[in-house]
Amino acid sequence: MDIFSSDSELCFADFINYPEIKIPADSFTFITGKSGCGKSSYLKMLNATVIPSRGIIKYRGTPISEFSILDYRRKVTLVPQKVFLFDGTIRENFDKYYEMRETPAPSDEQIKEFLTICCADFPIDANCTSLSGGEQQRVFLSIFLSCKPDALLLDEPTAALDEKNAHSLFSSLKEFCSQNKITLVCVCHSRELADEFAEYEIRLGENS
Amino acid sequence: MNSGIIELQLWQFSLIYLLLIVVILIMKKCRINQMKLLILASVKMTVQLILSGLILTYIFKNPHPIFVICYLLVMISFSIHRVISKNKGLNRKFKVVIGASVASSGLLVLIFFICAVVGENIFNPQYAIPISGMIMGNTMTGVSLGVKTFRESLDGQKDKINALLCFGASPQKILMPFVRQALETAMLPTLNSMIGMGIVSLPGMMTGQILSGTLPTTAILYQIAIMIAICTAVTGASFGALYFGYKTLFDKKTQII
Repeated sequence: MDIFSSDSELCFADFINYPEIKIPADSFTFITGKSGCGKSSYLKMLNATVIPSRGIIKYRGTPISEFSILDYRRKVTLVPQKVFLFDGTIRENFDKYYEMRETPAPSDEQIKEFLTICCADFPIDANCTSLSGGEQQRVFLSIFLSCKPDALLLDEPTAALDEKNAHSLFSSLKEFCSQNKITLVCVCHSRELADEFAEYEIRLGENS
Repeated sequence: MNSGIIELQLWQFSLIYLLLIVVILIMKKCRINQMKLLILASVKMTVQLILSGLILTYIFKNPHPIFVICYLLVMISFSIHRVISKNKGLNRKFKVVIGASVASSGLLVLIFFICAVVGENIFNPQYAIPISGMIMGNTMTGVSLGVKTFRESLDGQKDKINALLCFGASPQKILMPFVRQALETAMLPTLNSMIGMGIVSLPGMMTGQILSGTLPTTAILYQIAIMIAICTAVTGASFGALYFGYKTLFDKKTQII
């Protein structure tokens, strides 16, 4: 069963046209293509933080617009390219993010687990401002992953990571998500990572 | 105590412009290229005040509610225009909200001040015009500052807003802290001026009343009343503008900011 599908009508901002796209559920799908071909915009449309100028996207057979949007975003969560962490400790960041969603934050133990899955084994009272860019990116990812959405959309999650770290992050993420039936969709520039981890690959900007 | 103020002789009065030479010398010395602004500001101030002096003299001699209403309308529209022109790029609804908040908050406080506290007719130009001037002037500055802070902090925190939105937080929840912070910024100058009042500076209204022979004890009562009125008008107008204005930044259906 496809978790997301859209036909060749789909268009963003009146000038980025997409081919027909189907993304299978419970899989690890990569979206690749040159800069400016609309990869990030596609993820944003999937998460309904931008609206297509034409066409519709279906989530498990139903057009996205028919869902209650905030609930939908909590099921289909996008980890944006630009990291944002509050000033404060990792624990405080989890608290603040969950407070924004008005849901109870995970316990210390659970936070530690998610940090481990995201290769971010830092003490939960570590101050986020003292972490490096790559470290912040993994903490950021662990907050989003901890909500266990139905689908997690990643926009260049390895941009600030070296190859070795990116590699271990993807293996542990893939393992966790396939155990928990979380669909992963990832925009990524690295050919090697795509070759190694992609179960499906969507190449954009080639025939449009 | 002198019962009235000494009339200024025109030639003596013009001596005050000599002080501007000091300002010009300092600007020259420090190479501050604001000569044009200084001249423009002085000329504009002189002309505008002469005009309002003439108009007020006429209105006081021929008091009529319609004059007061017109004067208030001009004053209110001008302050709304100033707030909006200092905050370019706001959507239409936001502008309407700002206008409504500034006008309603200013007018309500003015009516309460004149009718309830002073016990005068709202159409008595001697009270309505100067008091509404003080209230509207401060409201304009406060709302302008609040909306500017709100806009700038939103612009500076795009990553935060985007991240929280993707995470599934509601736009209300995301924007509320910005509203709160901007409201605080709008209120602070008024609150701070209340703290220093009477120690270093004797405020303008009180000074004016004392110069024209009012007992200081009466003058301070007016001053206290006007400060509280200003504080209320600024807070009310900024609250209205921001609290109802931020809701124009997203719609319920798409929940996009």
